[in-house]
Amino acid sequence: MSNFLKVKNLDVKFSTARGLLHAVKDVSFELNSGESLGIVGESGSGKTVLSRATMGLLTMSTAKKSGSVKLEDVELTELTREELRSKWGTEMAIIFQDPMTALNPVRRIGAQISEGPRVRMGLSKAEAKKHAIELLTLVQIPEPEKAMKKFPSQLSGGMRQRVMIAIALACSPKILFADEPTTALDVTVQAQILSLLTSLRKKLNMAMVLVTHDLGVVAGHTDKIAVMYAGEIVEFAKTEDLFRNVRMPYTEALINSIPRITTKSGTRLPVIDGRLPDPTIPLVGCGFAPRCKYATDKCRTEHPDLVDAGNGHMYRCFFPLKVMN
Amino acid sequence: MHKLNQIFQALTKLLLVLVGATFLLSLIVRLLPGSPADFYTNAFNEEDRLLQIKALGLDRNAFSSYAHWIFDLVRGDFGPFFMSGGSTRPTSLIIAQSIPRSLLIMLYVQIVSLTIAIPLGLLTAYRADKAVDRIISTGLFAGSAIPGFALALSLGYFFGVRLQLLPTIGYVPIAEGLGEHFKHLILPVASLSIPLCASYARILRAEIISTLRQDYVTMAVSKGISNSRVLIKHVLRPSSTSLITTASLNMGALIGGTVIIDQIFALGGLGQQITFAIFARQYIALQSYIALIAIAFILFTVLADLLIGVVDPRTRNRNV
Amino acid sequence: MFKKLNLFSKVSFVWIGLMFFFAIAGKLLPIADPTEYFDVTGAGLFTAGHILGTDSNGYDLLANVVVGARNSLSIAVISVGLGSLIGGILGIAAGYVRGKTDYVLSVVFNIFLSIPNLILSLVLIAVLASSSDPTVPVPDSRRLVVIIASLTIVIFPILGRITRGSTLAWTNSEFVIAAKSMGMKDSQIIKRHIIPNVLPSIYAVAFLGVGIVIVVEGALSLLGIGVGDGISWGSMLARAQGDLEFAPASLLVPLTFLALTVIACNQVGDALRQRLDSRESKL
Repeated sequence: MSNFLKVKNLDVKFSTARGLLHAVKDVSFELNSGESLGIVGESGSGKTVLSRATMGLLTMSTAKKSGSVKLEDVELTELTREELRSKWGTEMAIIFQDPMTALNPVRRIGAQISEGPRVRMGLSKAEAKKHAIELLTLVQIPEPEKAMKKFPSQLSGGMRQRVMIAIALACSPKILFADEPTTALDVTVQAQILSLLTSLRKKLNMAMVLVTHDLGVVAGHTDKIAVMYAGEIVEFAKTEDLFRNVRMPYTEALINSIPRITTKSGTRLPVIDGRLPDPTIPLVGCGFAPRCKYATDKCRTEHPDLVDAGNGHMYRCFFPLKVMN
Repeated sequence: MHKLNQIFQALTKLLLVLVGATFLLSLIVRLLPGSPADFYTNAFNEEDRLLQIKALGLDRNAFSSYAHWIFDLVRGDFGPFFMSGGSTRPTSLIIAQSIPRSLLIMLYVQIVSLTIAIPLGLLTAYRADKAVDRIISTGLFAGSAIPGFALALSLGYFFGVRLQLLPTIGYVPIAEGLGEHFKHLILPVASLSIPLCASYARILRAEIISTLRQDYVTMAVSKGISNSRVLIKHVLRPSSTSLITTASLNMGALIGGTVIIDQIFALGGLGQQITFAIFARQYIALQSYIALIAIAFILFTVLADLLIGVVDPRTRNRNV
Repeated sequence: MFKKLNLFSKVSFVWIGLMFFFAIAGKLLPIADPTEYFDVTGAGLFTAGHILGTDSNGYDLLANVVVGARNSLSIAVISVGLGSLIGGILGIAAGYVRGKTDYVLSVVFNIFLSIPNLILSLVLIAVLASSSDPTVPVPDSRRLVVIIASLTIVIFPILGRITRGSTLAWTNSEFVIAAKSMGMKDSQIIKRHIIPNVLPSIYAVAFLGVGIVIVVEGALSLLGIGVGDGISWGSMLARAQGDLEFAPASLLVPLTFLALTVIACNQVGDALRQRLDSRESKL
């Protein structure tokens, strides 16, 4: 079966004042329609750039991009700006981390939601309004008619994030990129938004790419997970497989830092010492080696390739962790 | 309540400034050698002379004279304009003649400047640091720094003297022919508009560049709408507060601050009246002119505040 | 420092340097006597012997522009210097003491700023530089002093307000608060912490101020009350206004020098200020 979204050898560099910044290195992954993928990594790991580069949304003029992105067998990287624009909103949509900054502060909620449907689907004003109210109901905003007339600053953080989801879903996209959709929210609201996203995804049969720094967030909400480190995918697997048979020491460290119900209060969560390597300096060995408790000289001098352990579980490590069962 | 209180405080401060500025000017003009009494009396005997001085109100001291003027002003009377022989005519007559043209010129200058500045600001910000932007921005910088009278003199020379295309002197009211009206105003309006337009475009460019970095712009782009729609619907409005503030500050300045352009092109606006009033020791009239500019300044500042509230709801909620 | 500037700023710096060179060394340059009448009147640019042409009286324009540089720049530098001193002291007082002092000084700054600067200087000059007996002309030296004084009055509130804002920002900075809490004397804090940090923004605005003063001085000349006849750029303009048809160069040459100098001052002031803005935004 042909894959819905196929990203192959995607590579992004930025020229900065400090030199060439290699943000995304030779990344490939595939996604079936209706499926959801979690991209997990620390801030600075290149996960946000990866999601925007996949959509073709990199706004910085200094970005150099290579590789291939195929959406339903259409090569996005070869499209003109105009053709690419025709995919945005109707086929691919995105939501951002902070709804305070991602909603236009000077326009009413109603206008922001109905803009897409009016321009892209050619709805009349009345139709677009009706559609917007349906969308607000869909994302469970109470009194949608009243909310239409409000400005973003008049809503709470959770409500704003719901509005942003409504905007993204307005033209029924086939895939939604959610860039840290819950990071700016309170913990209780986070859970609500995540389950809303998952239920909407299933209801609308939409694919989703969930970008987050929190492995705990993606656990119950994705089919597959890609772990990113220093611009590379370092582990890729089905969600349950990843948690059960973690191979990459970095992923293990990430899992250990998730707070659990069983964790006694007062115990310190293990943190990963050290920092990501400087992205303007080309990597020599494994990028994680300086922080890895298992690292050997080989790890520090040779760069590991991404290898497939069979059943689609891939990792980038010379000394993968043992499989439990 | 808090907001109202703030506006009230700001207004008190402005009024204080208004009173201070007019009183200061009247004091300075009173210090001018050669009292208006010498200018505007023509009696042969001392008794008549004193009568004329009294009729002009020149027998009052600075404070009493100022108090009289303020009292008149509050009732909408701009005070006496001295005539020779101890008679006066209302300053409002002169204001009625010069204000319409000053207002018209201000209006033309603002319209021309803004219509050119907004697209230029959008273009240079959208293409920031590309060749187009560098060239235009350099031009805008030079344009914003060039003195208005340098433009007036050189434009006057090229279009008036050299090419004989446009008149360089005088004002023609609309009633005497729309064509002549505009023809006489092209050079003055251009001289005032070029620096203004350039500084507007630069202000807008800076603010648009910071708006373009916002997530909500990327969000708008991701809807798949055209770039021009993104710029006009999503970027322009949140980027326009500084421009509105600056433009409104210029309203007051343009009404009376165009002294030199008024003079060069002999337009007979408020600016020229101010120069005349200084040289002719018409200190009451001068006070009124300055007060008029200051009142316009205050009015337009309040207006700009209201406009910004409409354009940018963030400012409305700030103090609630 | 110089290397980091963009091309436009570099050109501006060089131009201002050249004008100062003219102002200082003008008399030593191998150029014509500015007060000598030549036979060629109304000559255009690049006439043999008169590279910038002559005016309708036969004065050499290059020589006059060089002398004009000295007078225009001296007037500008002296009045901006005095204005910075007065404005700087008042601004620091307002920003550091705050409270009533700040309120009163702010109102004073605003009173002066609310009167368009040309009108203010016009009134001041009319008062200070006219004699009670119209038959006795005011001596040139007194006119000059009066013009400098009135331009200083135009400049000081601008500098005062900028200094006040900058002082406020630095007074709230952590190291000043720390110094205060350690019992450092106010005079010491102002000397050690406030002045060194506020000074750069005064420099930046002073460049803009030089531009403003040159413009106002030119405008005053055009209104007929500038410094003596033809010895500054502004008064050259005033003299040339009547001769446009016969000797256009006599208008365009000083106009170009004046405009370029004003633009260059603005550019340099702007470049300095941009650097400061990024520094103060980190506060």
